Amino acid sequence: MALIEAHALGKSYGANRAVDELSFVVHPGSVTGFLGPNGSGKSTTMRLMLGLDRGDGRTTFDGKAFSELEHPMRHVGTLLEAKPFHPTRKARNHLRMLAAANRIPTSRVDEVIELVGLASVSDGKPRKFSLGMGQRLGIAAALLGDPDTLILDEPSNGLDPQGITWLRNLLKHLAGEGRSVFVSSHLLQEMAVLADQLVVIGRGKMLANGAVDDFISHSSLGAVEVRSPDANLLGPALDALGATVTHDEATLIVRGVTAEQIGDAAHDAGARVHQLVTRAATLEEAFLEATGLSEEFRGSGVDEGGHA
Amino acid sequence: MIDALRYEYIRLRTIRSTYWLIGLAMSFQLVMSLIIAWRMSVSTHPPKGNDAFDILATIGASTGFAPLFIAYIIGLLGVFSTGHEYRHGMIRATLTALPNRSTVFVAKVVSTALIAGLAALACIAIALASALVFDLNMPSTDELVNLTIGTVTFTTLFALSGLAYAAITRNQTAAVALLMLVPTVVEQIIRAIVLAIKTSSDDPQGTTGIVKILRFLPYDAGGKMYTRATLDDLLSFLGYIPFGPLGGGIVMGVFVSALLAISYVLFIRRDA
Repeated sequence: MALIEAHALGKSYGANRAVDELSFVVHPGSVTGFLGPNGSGKSTTMRLMLGLDRGDGRTTFDGKAFSELEHPMRHVGTLLEAKPFHPTRKARNHLRMLAAANRIPTSRVDEVIELVGLASVSDGKPRKFSLGMGQRLGIAAALLGDPDTLILDEPSNGLDPQGITWLRNLLKHLAGEGRSVFVSSHLLQEMAVLADQLVVIGRGKMLANGAVDDFISHSSLGAVEVRSPDANLLGPALDALGATVTHDEATLIVRGVTAEQIGDAAHDAGARVHQLVTRAATLEEAFLEATGLSEEFRGSGVDEGGHA
Repeated sequence: MIDALRYEYIRLRTIRSTYWLIGLAMSFQLVMSLIIAWRMSVSTHPPKGNDAFDILATIGASTGFAPLFIAYIIGLLGVFSTGHEYRHGMIRATLTALPNRSTVFVAKVVSTALIAGLAALACIAIALASALVFDLNMPSTDELVNLTIGTVTFTTLFALSGLAYAAITRNQTAAVALLMLVPTVVEQIIRAIVLAIKTSSDDPQGTTGIVKILRFLPYDAGGKMYTRATLDDLLSFLGYIPFGPLGGGIVMGVFVSALLAISYVLFIRRDA
């Protein structure tokens, strides 16, 4: 059992409200993705959950605040920084130090080093590590106490494609064992195949919270493509249903109604239909739609062709 | 608390700066102690009484004309105990392993105090060995105890002030600068200003007035714990009467305690 309950988390920097009344639950046995544009407050939220930043609200792990947990690394594994270690302390010693604080046997240090694939460099100094190797060491630290909860901030940063696949399989496996995994990432395609649930924030406020499929299906960017030689009959019938219809050459792009509703309307209007294809929005489209007005930092206008 | 101390113990053991700072301090103490002891042994006017031991143990700082070198070296360990946490982004890893901030802070204070005290004790041992090797006068029991207490206390308080500077500034470079500059530059500037005002006053040789401030310069006052004859003696005609070893130690102790109290409150309240 590893239930995370965040209630009314809040944090201000001067007049800027970085995190505002965020409440959500992360259930055991699931991977919950934490999404938001740059500067939306994801990292701050994670630090608030762990009591590292001072702010409002309360987060409990199976009913206890992080600071109330005895030997917290045995309950909650965390990765918050890209390279959270002294550059000249050997990787293995870094983990030994953390293990000592939580009464974790040294044999477990060797296990996690092996697990993350750093056995050959465990006696090396992290200053020579690439970003990806640093992330693996951070993941090893998070797994050190064999915790039932993981809170990981951008764990795939710097990992190569093989590393990303390895991490995805690892997190899915850990969730499959009944653990709670709360993970932020900018890699939306990766999150689409990794996460079961989503918490989406923008400018510190909750934008969406629920199952990934629900989040995507609620996007208005999902559409039904209709090919019909009787578009002049079908168009008004769809308008009457309240659908939004756009024309793309011989295809009607219909939003706001289901394929079944379109089929029924075509039948009633006596319009022939040659093709009826439901196209769901991608997670990226749904995310961009949800966070469109919540970007903290926005570049100058560049179109898809790369033209300013 | 035991877990936090275990963490600090492995932290200190697994980082190079611990070894090279202690190694540098001990090497300096050993080499200088042997050279000075040898020169004393061949001198036609060797130091009498406790002087040989006092000079060897403090490498001349007991005369008041030099700083206690090992305190400055070991003091860096105090700075690093907290400074490394912020310089290398370790503080969040530390506080997710040990979320009780009071425990973390106390463990750092205890480990820094222990290591500084032991290093100062080692310097005393080296001085005694050097005096023995070159057949110099051994100190009286009283002097041995007093100088040992003074040197150990000063070095420990000095290192703890380094820890506090790092915790307050959360910047290792700034903390090192403060630890080096406050005793050697800032206090000297204050002294110069106070004496300039005193000499131009209506009562330049009186023991009252602004000159009393000088007794409360913390590192200078703390130095009275290991100095036996000082530059300050030459300033007595200006009415400057410093505290003795106990009073000076209390002044420095209060100052360092205040620094630690401020750093503790900030450590508890601030974001990690």
